[in-house]
Amino acid sequence: MSPAHNCLNSRRAFLRSVSHGFGALAYAALTQTAAPTAAQTGVPAGTPTNVQAAATPALGVKPPHFAPRAKRVLMMTMEGGPSHVDTFDYKPELAKRAGKAIGKGRLPNAKLMPSPWEFQQAGQSGLWISDLYPELRRQADKLCLVNSMQTDVPAHATAFIQLHTGIATAPRPSLGAWVLYGLGTDNANLPGFVTISAPAILGGPINYGSAFLPASYQATKIGGNRQSITRAQVANIKSPRSQTTQEEQLAFIESLNAAERARSANNAFVDGLSAAHALAYRMQGELPPVIELGRETAAMQAQYGIGESSTEDFGRQCLMARRLLESGVRFVEVCHGGWDQHRNLREDHGKHAGATDKPIAGLLADLADRGMLQDTLVLWGGEFGRTPYAQTDDGRDHNHLGYTMWMAGGGVKGGLRYGATDDFGHEAVTDKVHIHDWHATILHLLGLDHERLTFPYAGRDMRLTDVKGRVHKGLLA
Amino acid sequence: MITRTRIQALAAILSRRMPLSRRITLSRRMPLSRVTPWSRVTPWSRRSPVWRRWPVSVAFPVLAMLAALVSRSPDQAARAQPPERVGKAPTAPANPRVPAGLEAYRKAANRGPAEANREMPQNQGNRPPGKAFGNMPGRAFGYGAGKAFAKAFGKAAATEPAKAANGPLGASPQAPQGAVKDTAKTAAQGRDAADAADAADAANGRIPNAANLALFERKIRPMLVAHCYECHSADSKELKGALALDTRAGLLQGGDSGPAIVPGNVKASVLIAAIRHEGGLEMPPKQKLTDEQIADFVRWVEAGADDPRDGAATKTASTIDIQQGRQYWAFQQPVHSPPPAVQDTAWPASDIDRFVRAAQEKNGVSSAADADPRVLVRRVYFDLIGLPPTPDESLRFVRQCQSGAPRALETALEQTVDRLLESSRFGERWGRHWLDVARFAESTGKESNHNYPHAWRYRDYVIDSFNADVPFDQFIREQLAGDLLPAQDDIQRAEQTIATGFLALGPKSLTERDKKKFELDVVDEQIDTATQAFLGLTVACARCHDHKFDPIPQADYYALAGIFRSTEVLYGTIRVITNANPSGLLTLPENAAVPVALPELTAADRQRLEKLLADTQSQSREALRDRQSGTQQIVRNRILLGTLEAKLNAYNPDGSPKTLAMGTRDRVVARDSELYIRGEVEKPGRVVPRGFVQVVCDEPSPAIKNGSGRLELANWIASADNPLTARVFVNRVWQHLFGRGLVPTPDNFGASGQKPSHPELLDHLALTFIEDGWSVKRLIRRIALSRVYRQDSTSHEANFAHDPDNVWLWRMSPRRLDAEAIRDAMLAIAGRLELTPPVGSAVALGGDGFSAGLELGRQLDEQRFNCRAVYLPVIRGRMMESLEEFDAVDGTAVVGQRSATTVPSQSLYLLNSSFVLNLASSAARRLMAEASEADKRVDWAYQRWFGRLPSDAERVAAVSFISRYRDKAKADGPTLSGPDMAAWTAFCQSLWASGEFLVRK
Repeated sequence: MSPAHNCLNSRRAFLRSVSHGFGALAYAALTQTAAPTAAQTGVPAGTPTNVQAAATPALGVKPPHFAPRAKRVLMMTMEGGPSHVDTFDYKPELAKRAGKAIGKGRLPNAKLMPSPWEFQQAGQSGLWISDLYPELRRQADKLCLVNSMQTDVPAHATAFIQLHTGIATAPRPSLGAWVLYGLGTDNANLPGFVTISAPAILGGPINYGSAFLPASYQATKIGGNRQSITRAQVANIKSPRSQTTQEEQLAFIESLNAAERARSANNAFVDGLSAAHALAYRMQGELPPVIELGRETAAMQAQYGIGESSTEDFGRQCLMARRLLESGVRFVEVCHGGWDQHRNLREDHGKHAGATDKPIAGLLADLADRGMLQDTLVLWGGEFGRTPYAQTDDGRDHNHLGYTMWMAGGGVKGGLRYGATDDFGHEAVTDKVHIHDWHATILHLLGLDHERLTFPYAGRDMRLTDVKGRVHKGLLA
Repeated sequence: MITRTRIQALAAILSRRMPLSRRITLSRRMPLSRVTPWSRVTPWSRRSPVWRRWPVSVAFPVLAMLAALVSRSPDQAARAQPPERVGKAPTAPANPRVPAGLEAYRKAANRGPAEANREMPQNQGNRPPGKAFGNMPGRAFGYGAGKAFAKAFGKAAATEPAKAANGPLGASPQAPQGAVKDTAKTAAQGRDAADAADAADAANGRIPNAANLALFERKIRPMLVAHCYECHSADSKELKGALALDTRAGLLQGGDSGPAIVPGNVKASVLIAAIRHEGGLEMPPKQKLTDEQIADFVRWVEAGADDPRDGAATKTASTIDIQQGRQYWAFQQPVHSPPPAVQDTAWPASDIDRFVRAAQEKNGVSSAADADPRVLVRRVYFDLIGLPPTPDESLRFVRQCQSGAPRALETALEQTVDRLLESSRFGERWGRHWLDVARFAESTGKESNHNYPHAWRYRDYVIDSFNADVPFDQFIREQLAGDLLPAQDDIQRAEQTIATGFLALGPKSLTERDKKKFELDVVDEQIDTATQAFLGLTVACARCHDHKFDPIPQADYYALAGIFRSTEVLYGTIRVITNANPSGLLTLPENAAVPVALPELTAADRQRLEKLLADTQSQSREALRDRQSGTQQIVRNRILLGTLEAKLNAYNPDGSPKTLAMGTRDRVVARDSELYIRGEVEKPGRVVPRGFVQVVCDEPSPAIKNGSGRLELANWIASADNPLTARVFVNRVWQHLFGRGLVPTPDNFGASGQKPSHPELLDHLALTFIEDGWSVKRLIRRIALSRVYRQDSTSHEANFAHDPDNVWLWRMSPRRLDAEAIRDAMLAIAGRLELTPPVGSAVALGGDGFSAGLELGRQLDEQRFNCRAVYLPVIRGRMMESLEEFDAVDGTAVVGQRSATTVPSQSLYLLNSSFVLNLASSAARRLMAEASEADKRVDWAYQRWFGRLPSDAERVAAVSFISRYRDKAKADGPTLSGPDMAAWTAFCQSLWASGEFLVRK
């Protein structure tokens, strides 16, 4: 009997051995490579000099470039392009000139369409928010509306990929992967970047992939592909064995690996493998309870809209996201799709806003109650907005020249309306925030300089913001 | 509800299983074992041409439909053509078919516009004589001129219906239009601008005007000096916009935005626009000139812009010094160095070893002993064929090594290496390495992911080429210009056509609505792939500006771009709302007898499809009429229509599948490309003659006169004189065998890559590779039989402390198996691996359409495939789990070296996935059938998994694990297969999750 399995008769004992015996060695290997990388030192490291260094990419916490205002990110992606002039960009001029030609842009004869929804001012800040978001309106003072967003192309897939990776035409790492690469993650027992209900279309995995960054920075996917979130899980997270038999098996595997280590010293892969098995086992134990929403009180679930059919799905996503963030996950993305109302705007925008209003409001309140909002950066928006003019009688076309996204929490000014579109909401005119700027500002809030967060690839030091991007200091708290 | 049921019905049709268990092929390259009898080959050659077999009643409506298609879209028309007509084009001779009249025109234009006008055919005379420069920027040659041009050469076009059908002349007025414009432009803006200036005067038929010269000296020159020279002269710190204004030639040649002035034509003079602050440029940047000053400039230009400042522009835009750049090691020719003397003369077995040993001695590390034969045989098997040896093979090798005969190990190794190199499994392993570099995949990737149902032909071509040991220089030529190479027969022609799939199967943004941008992006992807793959250069970095690290000016990029822009790339895909850029495909020659992936379409299936099509069409029309129908419904209908049309289109009228391929052919009219300022499509600048990467050419790259220049490019790359090509490839091979290249950045030999650790060895390998006739097998053989490759992988403390990265090769680096090797070995051990290569691919069966459709039809379900991993469908962005988990690549970019991560999701996969569990129970069943005693089973397993017998202690530990596990499983309650089976399954799975299995030492 090898000495390894004397002490491995229970999960607890196994975990203990992980942190003392072989685990210590593997852990040392992990932390060793967690030393400052090119990203932090600013020294272009060239391609990895050590092939084996890539075997154990660093996920441990890494220091930011400067003091961060936010430590973690929750990104709420509204796939399809929600209409800004019907939600967060109040344009009374549209009502005054209803049915008149817009007189500019690509279709100067297109007829302006007033918003079917009333706008009201809310909170001490007096932000204008429409009746599509009555619950969220009560949290107005937490929101920093960026009314002057711009992106390059009014096509879903391109804009969606650009929203996530900065550049749609080349394989680039996603925002979450960059953040994880820059900051690492707090909880080694959980993935550092999780995407919930990500769409399979519009680039699919590109939007949460790591591209040329090491694979360990890509997102762990929960649900998605129109899978019901109530049954969504992480791939292979569930062991087909009972706990006792799995522990027996893991102990046996570890005895094999210990013997192999003894035979083959300085074999980075075998060292890393033991650590990976141990992490996987811990994740297997730790992740399911985190995403098990039944552990929340009924009241808390109700606050997120769980239990009501319209808000069930997004409410679950938001609550799951909060639980993940609370457990130390660095970056969580949730997604609600279907905002592409070229027709049937009244009904369908109502439906989508209805599905998200209560969950978002519940989430913001919950984060604030827990003291998490101050260092959690919450992002909301779609790949672009919609035109102020009508398409059919009851729809709006894509608009990338001016639209709204909002931020809340960690380091942003609440109750602020930043930037502005023209009188109709057709085009951003002041303090334009291009998607590159948006990314630069997000990284800045996390303590990362978007020009220094680089990775050498294809002969260049690549950045999330390519050669562009400007931090908009005006929206920082 | 058209959608769900229809999609299901379609999926059912599409997912019919492959009918042939064996691969059909008659290619001379393929080993005999893969050849299938004639009877199973689509008997193309025995058929009469399709048009003869079609009854008039069928042919007429079909032709009418074709006519309609032609008027709609030339690309679609090409797809709808009967194959005979489409098929002629790929067999193009090396010299592309440029109409004689055009050739005359091109020559004339190159001699200078004045002569050009004299010699031009009369029907080209829509340019008034003497106005050559006035019309130059091409505005006069609008769409109408293009049509006039086509008309002028209409006869030539009409005599070659195949071409007309495929669009270059009749359907694409842009190409000839561009050619006229460009040849004229080239004359003025080519590399010899001073001549152009003379030509300008000659063209105007005038001698310099004294008054105007005086105006220049009095007014113009002082203004140029005061306001322009700071940024636009030989003394400028950096020449802005590539524009020099300190010589007459500089003014006429112009910069990024084209010629600064056109004598006599104020409107066409960019300089005038700039000083007037019109058209986007505002010069001088700080303060506008006075109206009076501007008027002087205008007067001077109107009067002919007399300018006495002779001489060529003295400063070029680029700060890159090509001459100096050539001094960089990688751009110098490799040199033969005699193998160095070494102190330890006993160790080296070859010249390779002498180079390695000398470096070891110089850097103070020792060499390692030969590896244990058991380790060595496993290493050679995985490295050469990607599969583990069977216990018998392993045992035979070990016995041979231990026979006591002189050179026993050497002989055993030689024989084994030779046998493995001859095995068809070799091409599957090494072909896969090349597919990584060639960014092979079977879908477009990006936003709107469409299938490439014919990409598998390229995959097979690569595998077959490695198996046949096609000389690597030939392999390069075929991939870049196979369509332009001579072919002995249709079989070779088909192979060479398929080879050009290399250029066609890259990722594409089909949603791009800007055609020019799409074209330039495709070209960019081709330049990026070709230069990284063959040359280890990142030329694509020079799309927007000069290369930041390497001496590659932006002009070099556009010199290459001209070659690829003169090349038509055919990749298929269907026209739907998210695909603005479908293209045609190539039909393979009739007598090539290429394998087909699809079963024949039965009359019943055709009827079903046609009915479905008709129903969908009527539904679609209704939906459009009915304003209540959702957008999504309409879009879905259109997608379904496109997919159905493509499905029907994949077959000949008799139900046999068409034999199509992706690839390239020269456009009828070749053209040079403009240089796009900052890479922006909206900002075309000067025209750059087609050419190669200057710094790698001994002299200025030779002028490309005929055709796209692709053949010249291929010959230039595949030349023994190219300092990069052989080095880059031998380095790739070295890296696959040792885990680290002699140059550790295999796709980047430029300044931002790393320098070679053993430069003399790199050159030695490159030169012997060339001398060996570019034989890949001999190269691998030479390395695999070296002493350094035989070394043990155990660590050595002092060496490790000194050289942890093993740069000096003091041991064989242990490394994790590749994704494919892990999967194949698991299948092999479980007894489930099917070594007979499948015909085609799941993507071919799926056919045209969205890749997402394959998922709907469950055609990507990994459990369905027991073939080797190289034959699994490769959908960009949707990798098979077994491959994705272990860092395989999905063809998004050139990958010369995969990452080798160790992450928990791999553990979850190995421990919990149903695929691995399933294989483990297959393996357990096999093992339990093999022996009845536990000890024997453990022995059997150790031999299979690790290539060795267990030690006594290991055997005891394993048996006691089995019994403990069995007890616990029993305690968990009854299961279907019982605790014994559960225990052995857990045992088998554990071995797969162990480092000894996953690492090749």
